[in-house]
Order: sequence, then structure tokens, then C-alpha cells
Amino acid sequence: MLGKSYKIVEPRRFDLYIDDIICNEGEAVVRIEYASICKADLRYYLGARDKRTLGFKYPMNLLHEAVGTIVLDKTQTFNIRDKVVLVPNIVPKGLKNCLSCICNIKELGENYCPHSKFASSNYNGFSREYVNYPIKNLVPIPENIDLQVATFSELISVAISICRRFNLKGNETIGIWGDGVLGYILCVVIRYMYSNAKVVVVGKHESKLKQFPAHTYYISGDKRMIKENISVAYECVGGKASSFAINEIVDCILAGGSIILTGVAEEKVEINTRKILEKGLSLYGATRSKISDFKKAVILLQNDNFRRDISKLLLNEIQIRNIVDFYDAFESELSNKALGRYILKFNV
Amino acid sequence: MNIAVILAGGTGSRMGIVDKPKQFIDIYGKPIIVYTLETFDNHPEIDSIAVVCLKEWVDDLKILLRKYEINKVRWIVDGGQTRQESIYNAINALSNECKDDDILIIHDSVRPLVSHKIISNNISKAKEFGAVDTVVPSADTIVRSIDESTIEEVPTRSELYIGQTPQSFKYSLIKEAHENAIKNNNLNSTDDCQLVLGIGQKVHLVMGEKLNFKITSFDDLLLLKAIIKLGKTEMV
Repeated sequence: MLGKSYKIVEPRRFDLYIDDIICNEGEAVVRIEYASICKADLRYYLGARDKRTLGFKYPMNLLHEAVGTIVLDKTQTFNIRDKVVLVPNIVPKGLKNCLSCICNIKELGENYCPHSKFASSNYNGFSREYVNYPIKNLVPIPENIDLQVATFSELISVAISICRRFNLKGNETIGIWGDGVLGYILCVVIRYMYSNAKVVVVGKHESKLKQFPAHTYYISGDKRMIKENISVAYECVGGKASSFAINEIVDCILAGGSIILTGVAEEKVEINTRKILEKGLSLYGATRSKISDFKKAVILLQNDNFRRDISKLLLNEIQIRNIVDFYDAFESELSNKALGRYILKFNV
Repeated sequence: MNIAVILAGGTGSRMGIVDKPKQFIDIYGKPIIVYTLETFDNHPEIDSIAVVCLKEWVDDLKILLRKYEINKVRWIVDGGQTRQESIYNAINALSNECKDDDILIIHDSVRPLVSHKIISNNISKAKEFGAVDTVVPSADTIVRSIDESTIEEVPTRSELYIGQTPQSFKYSLIKEAHENAIKNNNLNSTDDCQLVLGIGQKVHLVMGEKLNFKITSFDDLLLLKAIIKLGKTEMV
């Protein structure tokens, strides 16, 4: 079956491709319904990676946060018209002589396998009409969950994987640095999964922080946050600003505390290692979710209150009828300063 | 019920290829008609498909349906001498199973780039209005000539559209239109919408796409080959 597909071929330039979609063994064909644009997609759009890296990436379909409808499933796992979330991590089957041995570590998992592929990073993403996709990477969405909200499943799964990275006791004071979408979703997830924990959020924009379902918030630089006795801190800032955020965490966190880094920075960031040593802090990295995290995300979305909190991130719906609309969607997300995401409705 | 009627009764006389009709020509290992059928077969709103096929190519079609696992084809109907006759054959073949309000989505097998959106819009508008035609606005100025030598008229471009397919109708309406045409000895119409207009019914427009072009010449074939970039959907 022929289907339209938008691939980035150079910075700020998409081309329309017509692909022949072939449903291979163990796969279903999914029609993409909704998607959202993440910061990584914007970096590829702008060409904000080094030239050689981009040379290996382009041409490529962007977008890895997407939901769709089953149109063909020869395995008969799904019914036609079933709604599904697409899990962007693809792990090759039957790896032999893999030295990583990471798949069975529960805090990490197969998504950290060096051989795995990730849609819109080292593998084609979902900016297309149809995609043939492994059945095991499709998670069903119950009827009562609106597809627009379900588009956030990927980010919710990442938040769950971040929680999985470090075993919380559940009664700590937790700090979340970053007033963006991931920080917000992590805050919501922690409130639902660890209701006895106290959650403190720190960011630059009070208007955004006020919307977080946290116990309290601080503007970055406020010295009073030291008195909160934060023992676990999550950095959800990323980019150049992550240096300041990590150092602020290091200053504030209790001795022996744990810091989980989740923000992606293209350039190396400077951090105060002396103080990390002085305080005996532990640093973890987490940013990749696995299939079980997606399943948990969909279960969480079945809770009305949880879904309502996540729905607050929905900005306007942008209809993608052609490639011009697709350009407009990227430009809109680039200039987006609000707390939330534009949702792309594919109707190409 | 929404039934796609795929027209594959043409011989491809303008292609230069003599050993097979144009709809059976391979494009990167897959015949054009299969690309078209796959789109309808995988469209959730399409319940069944009828293919109007050249009699001597029916076995070849059956082999392709089996090979490519096209599952919704319930009827293979012999093609007629004209497009109009072919469609009328399909209307008759469906008569025992179609209700008046069922929708026929009539499409050329040699328009393989028909999209999911065009099919969906055809179905919803045909349910609402009874008769729809897929069109694209004319980007070029169209001139009218009667003697093939001089311009008779230059119609206003903004009022002109290029007709494509699908053309979609409620079953009772298209049946009545065809029977009326036969009664009036109008037997060689190239367009079903003309027949529907002939019984005083309005035909509404559905926007098509330039890509939904018809493969009628060798140039079109070349264009299609250039457009289809295979092997881009690599899978682990």
C-alpha cells in the first residue's frame, strides 16, 4: 500500500516521499492519527547537531510521540480500528554475543541496549500516513481515553521510567527542576504513584510552576529551597541551562542524596564535582522508557483525575493535511512558550 | 455498506505496451492495480470491493488477490465495451446484496495514489448528498477548441476543476442514472456524474489531490515510478 511520508532532508526542509508500506511478519500497519513534536525533533528540524551526525540522520521521518489506528494486522492480535500507542524503541531480536547485558537490569532495561533503535533518532519516526510496525511495540488504548491525551503516553512512559531508575521509598521530599512539559508530567506521575512524597518544583517561570500539582514551588535562585530537605532531585531542564540547574540541586540537596538527570544537553555541561564528592551524592541518568512503561502509562491515563491533569498540557490541535501544514506545525512549536504541546492531527 | 468498485476493464491502448493492460504493469515488482486495491482493502470504512476486469485477465487478477492477500474483493465482474457498460455490469452484479442507501465508491484501478483521506471524504459526502465527484482546481488555463485549430472559448479558470476518481453515489441513485441513460440511448458516457446530472440530481465536489493522477500514458508511468521511492521503510 502506498502512503505519504514527510522526511527531513536538510535543516528546515521536508520532502514528501511516497512509501510502499509492506506488512512483514509480526507487524501491523498503523495509520498515524495524532502526534506531537518533542525537543529532539526540533533539534533535527533546526539542524542543531553537528554536521557529521546530521549527515547520518537525514533523510528521516521525525516524531516519536504518536498514536494511531490499526488498519491491517495479519497476526490478528488487534482488531481493525483499534487505537494504539506506538513505542519508539525497537530492540533487535535474537542478539548473540551482546556484551552489554543490560536488558535484564530492572532500573534500565532493553531500551538502553546499544543495539536498540529509536524512532526519529536512528530510525524513521512517525511523520507519515501509515507505518508498518512490530506488534509487540504497539500498546492498545482503551476506548475511554481520548487520542489527543494519549499522545502524551510516550512522555508519561518516560516519567515512569525516570521513577523506575531510582527506587523511591515514597515518603521523601522530592525536588523537580524544570518547568517544561517533562517536569510537569513527572510531577503528575510522582503525585499519583507516590502519594506520601512531598514534591517541590523549581523553575524559571512562575506562571508555569503555578500549574504544577506540586506541594510547593520555588523560582530558581531562591535560597529558601535549602530548608525543604530534598533528598531526591530530578533534573528536567536540559540544554545549556542544565548546568545551572544541576549545580543548584547539588547546593540544595541533602548529603547522601540522589540526583537523576533527564535533560538532554548537546554540549558538555560544567558541574561542581567537588561538592558532589563532599556531599557523597549519587548521580543517575534516565531518559528511555520501555514497553512496560507505556503499558503503565495507559493504565494511569484511565484514571480520570490523572487524565485531567495531563490534558492541561494540550494546546491547539494543528491539522496536518499537507506538507505546508507540517512546516507550520514545527514553526508553531518552535515559538511555543506556553506549558504544553501542540497536537498534530494527521489527515494527509 | 460501502463498496468500492474498481475499474480494471481498460486495455491501455495509449501506453504502447501490447502484452498486458496498463493496470497490470509492474511498478517495482507490484502491479499498479495491486497498489490501488491495497489502499481500499486496508481502509476501515470499505466493507467490500468489486473489481470490473477484462474477461481474459480474470485469472491473473485472482492470482494477484491471493498473492498479495487482498481480502475484501467479493465480486469480479466482466468488463463491458465501454466504461459506462462496465459500471452498469457492476451495478447489476451487486443488485442482490446492495440496499438503496449503500455507497458505491467507483475508482479507476490506474489511480494508485488515491489517499485514505479522499476515500473517507467520498464516503461521508456521498452519505450526506447522494452523489460526489473528486476534483482538483485547474491550475492551468483551459481553452476550448472545436476545430482543433483555433480557440473557441477561454472559460473562467476559477470555475474549472479537473475530474478525478473516486466518484461515489448512493446505490439507488447511480442505478437510476444508468437506467435512465440506457432508456435515452446515451450509451457511451465517460463519466458517471454526467449520468447523475441527467436525472436532475446535484453532484457535490470532494477535493482530490494532484498526486491522484491517472496512469494513461508512458509519461505517467515514468512519473509514478519516480514518485514511488521503495525501500525507505526499512524495518529491523
